[in-house]
Amino acid sequence: MIRFESVSVRYSEAPAPILKDVTFTVAEGELCLVVGQTGSGKTTLLRAINGLVPHFTGGTLSGRVLVDGRDTRTHRPRDLADVVGVVGQNPLANFVTDTVEDELAYGMESLGLPPDVMRTRVEETLDLLGLSDVRARPIASLSGGQQQRVAIGAVLTTHPRVLVLDEPTSALDPQAAEDVLAALQRLVHDLGVTVVLAEHRLERVVQYADQVVLVPGGGQALEVGDPAEILASSAVAPPVVELARLAGWHPPPLSVRDARRLAGPLRDRLAGLPSPEGPQDQVDTTSGLPRDRPAATTPIAAVRGLVVRYGGRRTAQPPALRDLDLEVAPGEVVALMGRNGAGKSSLLNALVGLVRPAAGGVRVGTVDPASAKPAAIARAAGLVPQEPGDLLYASSVGEECRQADRDFAAEPGRCARILARLAPGIPANRHPRDLSEGQRLCLALAVILTAQPPLLLLDEPTRGLDYGAKARLADIVRALANGDGASDGTQDARRDRGNGVSGGRHAVIFATHDVELVAEVATRVVVLADGDLVADGPVASVVGSSPTFAPQVAKILRPLPWLTVSQVAAALGSA
Amino acid sequence: MSERINQHSVTSSPFALRPRSTAALVLASLVGVVGFGWPFLTDPDSALGGHSSDAPYLFVVLLPLVVGIVLAELSEGGMDAKAVAMLGVLAATGAALRALSPGTAGFEPTLFLLVLAGRVFGAGFGFALGAIVIFASALVTGGVGPWMPFQMVGLAWVGLLAGVLPRAGGRKERWLLAVYAGGASFAFGALLNLSFWPFSSSLPPGLAYAPGDPAMNNLGHYAAFYVATSFGWDCVRAVVNTTLVLLAGRPVLAALRRAARRAAFEAPAGFRAPERP
Amino acid sequence: MRAAHRPTLPRHLHPGAWWLWAVGLATAASRTTNPLLLLLVLAVAGYVVAARRTTAPWARSYAAFVKVGLAVILIRIVFQAIFGAAVTGRTVLFTVPEVPLPEWMQGIRIGGSVTAEALLAALYDGLRLAAVLGCVGAANALANPKRLLATMPGALYELGVAVVVAMTFAPQLVTDAARARAARRLRGQPDRGLRSVRATAVPVLEGALERSLALAAAMDSRGYGRVGTLPAATRFVTGALVLTGLLGICVGVYGLLDAGSPPVFGLPMLAAGSLLAGLGLVVGGRRTLRTKYRPDPWALPEWLVAVSGCAVAATYVWSAAQGVEGLTVPAMPLTMPDLPVVPALGTLVALLPAWLAPPPPRVGAGDSEAAPARVAAGSERDGTPAADVDRPREVSR
Repeated sequence: MIRFESVSVRYSEAPAPILKDVTFTVAEGELCLVVGQTGSGKTTLLRAINGLVPHFTGGTLSGRVLVDGRDTRTHRPRDLADVVGVVGQNPLANFVTDTVEDELAYGMESLGLPPDVMRTRVEETLDLLGLSDVRARPIASLSGGQQQRVAIGAVLTTHPRVLVLDEPTSALDPQAAEDVLAALQRLVHDLGVTVVLAEHRLERVVQYADQVVLVPGGGQALEVGDPAEILASSAVAPPVVELARLAGWHPPPLSVRDARRLAGPLRDRLAGLPSPEGPQDQVDTTSGLPRDRPAATTPIAAVRGLVVRYGGRRTAQPPALRDLDLEVAPGEVVALMGRNGAGKSSLLNALVGLVRPAAGGVRVGTVDPASAKPAAIARAAGLVPQEPGDLLYASSVGEECRQADRDFAAEPGRCARILARLAPGIPANRHPRDLSEGQRLCLALAVILTAQPPLLLLDEPTRGLDYGAKARLADIVRALANGDGASDGTQDARRDRGNGVSGGRHAVIFATHDVELVAEVATRVVVLADGDLVADGPVASVVGSSPTFAPQVAKILRPLPWLTVSQVAAALGSA
Repeated sequence: MSERINQHSVTSSPFALRPRSTAALVLASLVGVVGFGWPFLTDPDSALGGHSSDAPYLFVVLLPLVVGIVLAELSEGGMDAKAVAMLGVLAATGAALRALSPGTAGFEPTLFLLVLAGRVFGAGFGFALGAIVIFASALVTGGVGPWMPFQMVGLAWVGLLAGVLPRAGGRKERWLLAVYAGGASFAFGALLNLSFWPFSSSLPPGLAYAPGDPAMNNLGHYAAFYVATSFGWDCVRAVVNTTLVLLAGRPVLAALRRAARRAAFEAPAGFRAPERP
Repeated sequence: MRAAHRPTLPRHLHPGAWWLWAVGLATAASRTTNPLLLLLVLAVAGYVVAARRTTAPWARSYAAFVKVGLAVILIRIVFQAIFGAAVTGRTVLFTVPEVPLPEWMQGIRIGGSVTAEALLAALYDGLRLAAVLGCVGAANALANPKRLLATMPGALYELGVAVVVAMTFAPQLVTDAARARAARRLRGQPDRGLRSVRATAVPVLEGALERSLALAAAMDSRGYGRVGTLPAATRFVTGALVLTGLLGICVGVYGLLDAGSPPVFGLPMLAAGSLLAGLGLVVGGRRTLRTKYRPDPWALPEWLVAVSGCAVAATYVWSAAQGVEGLTVPAMPLTMPDLPVVPALGTLVALLPAWLAPPPPRVGAGDSEAAPARVAAGSERDGTPAADVDRPREVSR
């Protein structure tokens, strides 16, 4: 169905080709997973399938790409629209019209299909993707998962034989991602559509893949083959594969179900070992500080009876948060979990004064965010929003750092120093928009940390990050909570300000759907549902037992309390 | 496959003005000049002079037609998806600025965006953007009315002329654009007032349109009317837009130029035979 | 009878029909200064709007336009009171102290005695404008703007797409701007004032431009612009038609201005030019072999609605030509205006669409117009309800 024949791609201003001598085929009806780190050329590979590379992007392509017998050299993307459907990462950026039905019909209108055919196909697609309830709704009012399904439906109506998806679930919460992947499964199995899919969260999809294409980046040769074989040696791998490497299972299982079958002996071995130490305890042992419970110290943030509601007093809308109590002490890393709309963002926004409480009080250090000036709040609590780019407006990284120093009245160079510790090697003359997702997050983090807030808030920090960037973020968060990552080493300055923070240990609160990150770094998990706090406790007890929030390792080793591969490794190593 | 790489044909102007579209633009602008300026151009005995109360109906129909023709000519032979998307997104920004600005009359910062976009993307793009901003924002806000054709032509001219300003760079360019934005604020206000001035019947004779009077006389009346009614508003508009260009002109110009570079309209795409090792 | 012809089956009426109806009514209103007739026009338009509007955001346009109309009336009256020269009457209500003006501003008087007749004339004049505005507002309230856009000629297809994109993106941009302003506070800076413009505008614009590129890629992959290059001969013909037509329009317009030019250079030239240019647009539009998904039908109800509007206009034009009494009411002397029978009955014809137009589909929870507020503010992100975007501003007050 798809054939790459010695394909190399070089962009006009790039010194070296991003893809070099790529040859592989994807057979009809296969689900092909493209794996690689950010910037490795995954997107280029995907875009070459329908000719966006080089027709749209510019650059030079040598060799040839054949899709269903059509050569992309002679067929522009629009000429392949009836063969290849392309879905991007952010569905909202790809919509031309604003209601579901119109969007589904748009592609067919461009192809000039007769009205009766269009009507039939729209109805079919609505049913196929479970969208008939929302057919006339404005797209902007749909949930993320529904939007992504609309985006898939919009390209399906032209009946393409190949579907290309570039990280379709990276901006979605787990439930929405499940919906989208289930829909894809159905397309492959029932309709025989060939699917080429790039994805960071391998644990979600690898079990469905027929073939994996590993793009190592740097112009190195691609590895193509059976998923288990490729992942056994790949640098990027889901937790289940890493556990398999640790346990020596070969070929590695790709799903929790397969892994559980193999995990019997491992569970037996672990059952005799002492329970793992949570990140809380790791923090304490590494920093050598006496283990202090939250109640024993002055909290950095205290929330009492917080009620947040939107839309004024007259609306019938239920409050976004009701009667919430929460205290956070230095050194704690609190994960906020819960469905979309559960009130996670509202809580974070209330802590920095972006949302004013309808009742109850919030206190961050000595500051009341509802009434304090922005400058005072920024010194008490710093929030990195979901879109880190919102914070950035300078035309280069260096200028951004200087601006941050001025904004927070810091000594010149502080922000740049912090950035150098968080993410070394970012050129100062690079435009913030040209950074990778992970680098941009680090830059936004550096800007916020320039104010040296004792409380750091992160809203969905792992959205769009690959494994490498996520691991780096986990290290940063751990270091901040420990106090040894405190930004630029000028902790004396903070003590002089006398805001009651001992030892420069930050408290971190992050809202996330990413259970693996929670298992890695959090010391405490708070689960919100419908504006209520429904669970609050150590990670192992809250997350380990939950069917939805449990990380892969916990699912495999259940009922044992291990959550991450590193914990298992530590346990086995010490035994 | 032999090599065919056409290098350095990258252009930042998605609507290059070709002879055909230029001719259409000139003719349409002539119609537009009459549409606004007929009170000064009519002979007392001419057809229009005799039915001056019907003139606006004529132009409400005629102006959209000629604007449509120019836009059709600009996009004649197909329009790049990048150009359409850029036009749509910038028009959305302009419409959002119109919606966000308090008080529609004075503070419209839309001109600021239009001037900068016209400067970066060229005269044809500026014309199209000006017309479409008005159209889109009227549709979004449910504000379609007889004033719309006049606003479209007025704003389209502002964008057009921004695209033909002389070359300059750096600080000089910003001052040039700031002065232009200020001037355009007044000109836009004066033009739009002109579109309803002849029918404002409850004006004193010194301010009112006197059909059949010499053009100079009416010009004087109009000047007095303009100063008396809307000069103040336009001053605010001019100050806001000039300040915006001076204050935010540099980063916004840089952002637009970066986008033009990244979009690389008509980017050179090349193919080569496979590189056999 | 096909379903589309039945006026009782709920569906959206073709927006063009509503506009023709409203333009007819507005033409009528512009032919009279009789306040009774003008109020009747406003009432008729209001009644039809109330009977046939949806819950869409634009359905509120009528009230908004009427408010603008009231402002116009007020401005006219204040102008009249200050400059008060156009009408001289005998019933002096009060006197504004006169401001002496320099010699060169002759013909302008500020202040002086204000008469009832003068104010009444201003009121009638303002009311006429307000009635026209009301009719336009009624059309805005009744016609779906997106459907209206779909009726653009094929030659303007690309521009139509650009407008659709703009309409889709504008609400998202408002949300983006609110987010960027919130981010400004996160950096410890005030989020108001000219200084914050740069910090708000740049991220929003950068984000928007980035999305435009993603959108272009999506459009290209989905077949945008696929059909379509005309043969060179047709393109030449199109160009010739359009340019000749434009030239004709130009000559026609200048012919209308110039008393000395032969009459053929006036309206006939204009009409011929418009025809040619229109023909050029049609020929040029044929290059797009696009089709339309679920196009609005033009059936019996559309004809009836459009004709009812035109009928009103025709009544007024005929009455004016026949010199029917009471169409224009003199402000002097002060009298109670009469209601002329023929135009009044004619106006009532425009009331018929309240029954002849099919009722709009009842909006259930899932319909496109059910959630206007959410569209406007957009809340695609985690649990941040639409109204959230307004909160930061509230706090900073």
